[in-house]
Amino acid sequence: MVMQSERAQSAKPRRGSKARNSRDSAGYRVFTWLNSTILVILCLIMLYPFVTVLAQSFSSPGAIKAGLVSFWPVDFNIDTYIAVANNGMFWRNYGNTVVYTVVATIIAMILTTSFAYVLSKEHLRGRKVLIGIAIFTMFFNGGIVPNYVLISSLGMKNTMWALVIPGAISVFNLLVMKSFFENLPKDLEEAAQIDGLSWFGIFGRIVLPLSKAVIATMVLFYSVAFWNDWFAAFLYLDKSELFPVTLFLRNLLAGASSAATEGAAASGSTASALSANIQSVTMILTVLPILFVYPFVQRHFVSGIMLGSVKG
Amino acid sequence: MTAHMFKDSRFSRRTFVTGIAAAGLLAMVGCSSKSKEAVDISSQNVGYMEGYTADMQFKASEPLDLSLLWTDWPDTPVKDSWEIFKEIKERTNVNLSLTHIPFSDAKEKRSLLISAGDAPSIIPLVYTGEEEAFVSSGAVLPLSDYSDLMPNFQKYVKEWDLEEMIENLRQSDGKYYMMPGLQEVSVPVFSLVLRKDVFQEVGGGIPNTWDELRAALVKIKAKYPDSYPLADGFEGQSLLNYAARAFGTQAGWGFGNGMMWDEAAGKLKYAATSNEYKEMVTFFHGLVKDGLVDTESLTAADAGGGNATVSEKFAKNQIFAASGSTNTAIEYSTALDKTLGAGKHQVGLVPPPGGPAGDTVEPRNFWHGFMISSKAKDASNFQALLQFLDWFYYNPDARELLRWGVEGKHYTKAADGTITLKDEYSLKARNLNLNAKIDLEIDLGFATFPSESTESRKLKESYSTPEDVEYIDAVLSSRTPLAPAPPAPLEEAELEQASLASTPLKDTVETNTLKFILGQRDLGEWDKFVSELEGQGLASYVDLMNSARERFAAKS
Repeated sequence: MVMQSERAQSAKPRRGSKARNSRDSAGYRVFTWLNSTILVILCLIMLYPFVTVLAQSFSSPGAIKAGLVSFWPVDFNIDTYIAVANNGMFWRNYGNTVVYTVVATIIAMILTTSFAYVLSKEHLRGRKVLIGIAIFTMFFNGGIVPNYVLISSLGMKNTMWALVIPGAISVFNLLVMKSFFENLPKDLEEAAQIDGLSWFGIFGRIVLPLSKAVIATMVLFYSVAFWNDWFAAFLYLDKSELFPVTLFLRNLLAGASSAATEGAAASGSTASALSANIQSVTMILTVLPILFVYPFVQRHFVSGIMLGSVKG
Repeated sequence: MTAHMFKDSRFSRRTFVTGIAAAGLLAMVGCSSKSKEAVDISSQNVGYMEGYTADMQFKASEPLDLSLLWTDWPDTPVKDSWEIFKEIKERTNVNLSLTHIPFSDAKEKRSLLISAGDAPSIIPLVYTGEEEAFVSSGAVLPLSDYSDLMPNFQKYVKEWDLEEMIENLRQSDGKYYMMPGLQEVSVPVFSLVLRKDVFQEVGGGIPNTWDELRAALVKIKAKYPDSYPLADGFEGQSLLNYAARAFGTQAGWGFGNGMMWDEAAGKLKYAATSNEYKEMVTFFHGLVKDGLVDTESLTAADAGGGNATVSEKFAKNQIFAASGSTNTAIEYSTALDKTLGAGKHQVGLVPPPGGPAGDTVEPRNFWHGFMISSKAKDASNFQALLQFLDWFYYNPDARELLRWGVEGKHYTKAADGTITLKDEYSLKARNLNLNAKIDLEIDLGFATFPSESTESRKLKESYSTPEDVEYIDAVLSSRTPLAPAPPAPLEEAELEQASLASTPLKDTVETNTLKFILGQRDLGEWDKFVSELEGQGLASYVDLMNSARERFAAKS
């Protein structure tokens, strides 16, 4: 018995080591090598544009025009950073973006979570109609001019509210959240109900603390969307001191390049090409905050987006 | 999904503009009858200046507040505190209140504001043709009804011989809806930028015709075998534009709606099916076949990126001639300073080469002007608004103010009229007094876009570099501008019909022109190409345009 069991025990690791051996086999090693090589190449391809922009932001305009900048800055300088940092309008617009993003994300989160929670209750009368209304807006909308007229007659033009209110509920985010709430165990809520909690109490003290992952994901979705949004601001704001930084950036980038393509018409002196490194510097400064937020939210992000996907 | 729609960057610009124009049509349809009523604005005389005539300082009889659309350029962000607005207020008693639109999407925003009935009274930076979209809706005013209140406009149209060109602005109802910036002299802004030193040393001098250019390119190619000496950073559109004039046709940026005047037949014909067009295409195909053209530059589809690449190749001695303006020449020159070193090269703009049709260049051109939003018509200060605009756009003193600031304070003027910027002020855009602390344009608001629109020759030369002046003189002395094409304004229903027909035709022409030139399609298939166009309804389109032309000719 003892011998047998010993043999059995000693056999096990041998089988295990055999399996390990197969992982160490030539074929597997080639696979790992190939895999990592391809992934590294892919990674470099994706990083390249960013690195170039970063390098350009530290280079002189002449070197950029002559096409000498790829990975490393040529004629290293931080003059442009200083110049952009001294641009009052840039920081003003930057501050606007921060305010718009924070306020918009807070409003969007309040509206989306509460709407999604209501929709997740199957006993709610008219639930299908409410979902239908939400989904309807995914496919149809009034069009730009009617929307514009609506927003301006509501008195929201040239205010933050024009950017914050119309996009407050993204139906996609709403549906993801709804299915997440549907998957929470009903027993939990029933128990809370028996213990005397009201619906608001259940929502605030039971459901929300259990939904941190999906909330983190939605905060990320919304804040990135609001940070990057320029179109609503372009439509509804008429004063450059109210613009978000994305519009400032767009003006800088698209402005300079459309000056070249529409050169036939607008070749006047004022359309003089902006130096390429001002564009790079502004781009870098604009993406930085979002770039820093990603690593911290990523953990929730992966789990949060998966949570709604399996129904069970 | 609204938020998603807003951030979709693939949102087609064309769809957007068409959508806006269509919605505007619906929204403003109620107003269209108004514009046809008889004009009596004599009671709208708040601020009206009695006895206002040409070359006179306008001053409103009481303070006025007028609204103006302002395109905000990224390198010269507008400030309400700019001295220019204070100076205008002091001189004219007019306070301008601005609506800012970012330059990147200025046209779209302008359409939106006009369509929604939300536009300021004064809509500047309008190029000829851009007003058409707003005419039928009645969103902008027929300015021809009010030109008698604009003495400066009338004076300079006459003095600079622009009457015929003004006639061409008339729409099918016989009125014009924009007033353009008047240019005493008008030369093509885009032409050939050459490495003059290489052309002198290797190419046998500055080419005067397309054949001479070809010969020079062959020599340069022989010396620099790795080069493709001729390029166009604007998808070929600029090159074809000025080349077509020398071949007696129109193409590229200048293709327009494709119609051109056939003197012999006395009617309009479609440019792309003519022998002249074929001749031009054959010529460029020949250049491509001999490796003289940087074909990559002709197909660079990234907006604006094409020219950046050309600039790089210019710097690396791979391109020696390319389309551009005087600004482009400076850009190439800066890039070359980096690779060859300053002073070791010479880059400059030369007049467009002549061709089989003679030394002809594009017709004289207007510069951007303005429209007036139709709601201004009911305002009590409407007459004063017209007077102010006449002063602002056409009075020589106003033009000098917009360009150079205040005489004695910002600049001095010698007895012969030469203008010199004072040492305390810089004008970075023109490389003047770079060390001064205050910039005339960025800090004070002079020399921005309104200063460009109307210019006498003297004013233009006052800020141009010697190279610019040399280019202008060379074009004026050695080239003949074509006569403007006779107008054939379409009626509302026809406009849609015409654009439905002309857009696919133009697409076919543009695609195939490039294919023929690049050799992707054999020139032997030219007749097939013509019949393809005919299959797309070319004949009925040409008939439509000719009937519009005849109707207009009979009317006037």
